[in-house]
Amino acid sequence: MSSEATPRVRLESVTHRFGDVTALDDVSLEVHDGEFITLLGPSGCGKTTLLRIVAGFERPTEGRVLLGGVDVTKTPPYRRPANMVFQRPTLFPHLDVFENVAFGLRIAKVPRQDIRTRVRESLALVRLDGYEDRKNHELSGGQMQRVALARALVNRPQVLLLDEPLSALDLKIRLEMEAELRRVHRETGATFVYVTHDQREALALSDRIVVFNEGGVEQVGAPGIVYRRPATPFVARFVGNSNVLAVDVEPSAEGHRVRLGDLAVTVRADGVDEGPAWLVLRPEGIRLALAPMGDLVAQGGEGVRGVVLDHAFRGTGHSYRIEVSGLDDPLKCEMGGRDPFELGDPVEVSWDPDACVLLPRIADEPGS
Amino acid sequence: MERIQRSPITGAITLVALVFLFVPLIVVVLFSFHETSGLSFPFQGFSLRWYRDVVGSPQIREVGRNSLIVAVATAAVTLVLGTFAAYGLSRASGRWRGPLTLLFFLPLTLPGLFIGLSLLVFFNLVNDQVVDFKLSLTSVAIAHFVYVLPYFLLIAIAALDRLDVALEEAAADLGATSWTVFRKVTLPQIWPVLLGATSLAFALSFDEFIITFFVIGPQSTVPMFIWSSLRRTVNPTINTISTLLLVTTLVMFTIAFVLTLRGSHRHGEDADILSDAIGGTQ
Repeated sequence: MSSEATPRVRLESVTHRFGDVTALDDVSLEVHDGEFITLLGPSGCGKTTLLRIVAGFERPTEGRVLLGGVDVTKTPPYRRPANMVFQRPTLFPHLDVFENVAFGLRIAKVPRQDIRTRVRESLALVRLDGYEDRKNHELSGGQMQRVALARALVNRPQVLLLDEPLSALDLKIRLEMEAELRRVHRETGATFVYVTHDQREALALSDRIVVFNEGGVEQVGAPGIVYRRPATPFVARFVGNSNVLAVDVEPSAEGHRVRLGDLAVTVRADGVDEGPAWLVLRPEGIRLALAPMGDLVAQGGEGVRGVVLDHAFRGTGHSYRIEVSGLDDPLKCEMGGRDPFELGDPVEVSWDPDACVLLPRIADEPGS
Repeated sequence: MERIQRSPITGAITLVALVFLFVPLIVVVLFSFHETSGLSFPFQGFSLRWYRDVVGSPQIREVGRNSLIVAVATAAVTLVLGTFAAYGLSRASGRWRGPLTLLFFLPLTLPGLFIGLSLLVFFNLVNDQVVDFKLSLTSVAIAHFVYVLPYFLLIAIAALDRLDVALEEAAADLGATSWTVFRKVTLPQIWPVLLGATSLAFALSFDEFIITFFVIGPQSTVPMFIWSSLRRTVNPTINTISTLLLVTTLVMFTIAFVLTLRGSHRHGEDADILSDAIGGTQ
């Protein structure tokens, strides 16, 4: 995509306050044409407020919203070329599926014949052909959200806004709907702005992820980047469920020598050459091996010793929490393999040096 | 273990209460069908002669028409103004909603005597100092509107509060202006409840006496007619008119209940709005 192209959505220094509470603090963002972008963050981080500002349900305290290059900051929702799929299926209970989907077209006074064609096309797109006459109560939760999707897309919006549309669905339906959303996005080429607190969903769906925390943007990037190269300790914890350890870095020949409590280990990671840092260790980058009983503290070698504190079977593998002396929190670790370690097993902890990231840390910065 | 014995006194009191409630009512209805003009037992056979008298009497037909005009006018005005007031109140934001709603509900707590008297004073004031306004059926309808509006609002606001606001946002998002949202999304969901509340307004107005007593002009309504007839003589036609009044009111209340119940059941909820709304004031 050429950088000169007008972004579909452009947010300029958007700040939003509810009374004394700052929900969004100086957020700027560009969404490109045809992009699937996800606003990810814990509840209360401002992501839904931002979506509602784009839709027009909230007017930002400061800043501007542009859709297709046009300033719509003061435009009411009914005159914005954006349509929304809500968290709960908000189908009109007194109308059947056809009339629900046709709602926007009727208001726009689209000719009758075109309404028929477009509603049919739209329902076919979400694989609900033949459901025109159904009533709400004859639909499952997943089907209702598909109708809501069809009802939004039938208006050919410049941007489709999705506010946690899958969060009310069962896991199985949710996974099916994820695949459906990817397909619908491919087939329509529409621009999707998606809000979720589920990092797995964000990683699975998006072209780019915007990670929010406390009203601000922590990182913007492709799922692989956000996952492998978190920009902040928050992103590392929230997106990768990573271990984030306060360390001190000393330069050395083979990489970075990192002091970790009583331990000194070598990691290959750029970012910080010397001084205080955060060491990010992804749980699946950690390997465990059964260690002989003995000292729990490694004697200065690469291996770190610990004890299995907790074990959970995950189907595809196992997750453990390992207590390592000298560390405040147990290490989170995910491994494949048939034979799990047992609680209390002494283990030798090692890790893939590429699974490490060093992030700058201000000395004495609190850990979380 | 033995079951806790219910006191026989409780049962007796309940029975006495029921007797007090229903025996006078039954007597009135029964004697409206009496063959003779006597109003005491023994009962001497059924006849529809008093009903024929009532239907044939031009005077009674006129007061019946007056009551109907007042009740229909009251119900119609309440439906239109009450719906907008309820919508405004239920969608009003934070700070103003509480005090405003309280103001609208205040007449519920006022004695009818006070409402009647104050409206009489007000109408006289208007007549003396603003425009020529004589007491008439119009003044009765206005007074009834003041009296029934809070009941209508209670039911309508309860129904509106149960609607999902996200539906209205969804409609706005799909291009509907607030007027279109109201017409195409809000109204279709609550019209049965609104009609039920309108029936209630009709019923309340149709047999209203105290307030009417203060603001009535030269014309008369059914309750006024019954009262003034009783001052002269106890005539069996009074029983008949009372029975007709009772039936009309009962029918309208039943319609009100059925519609408000159906209105809430349509959206898959068990509780009915009417009892909810009335329960909420106690």
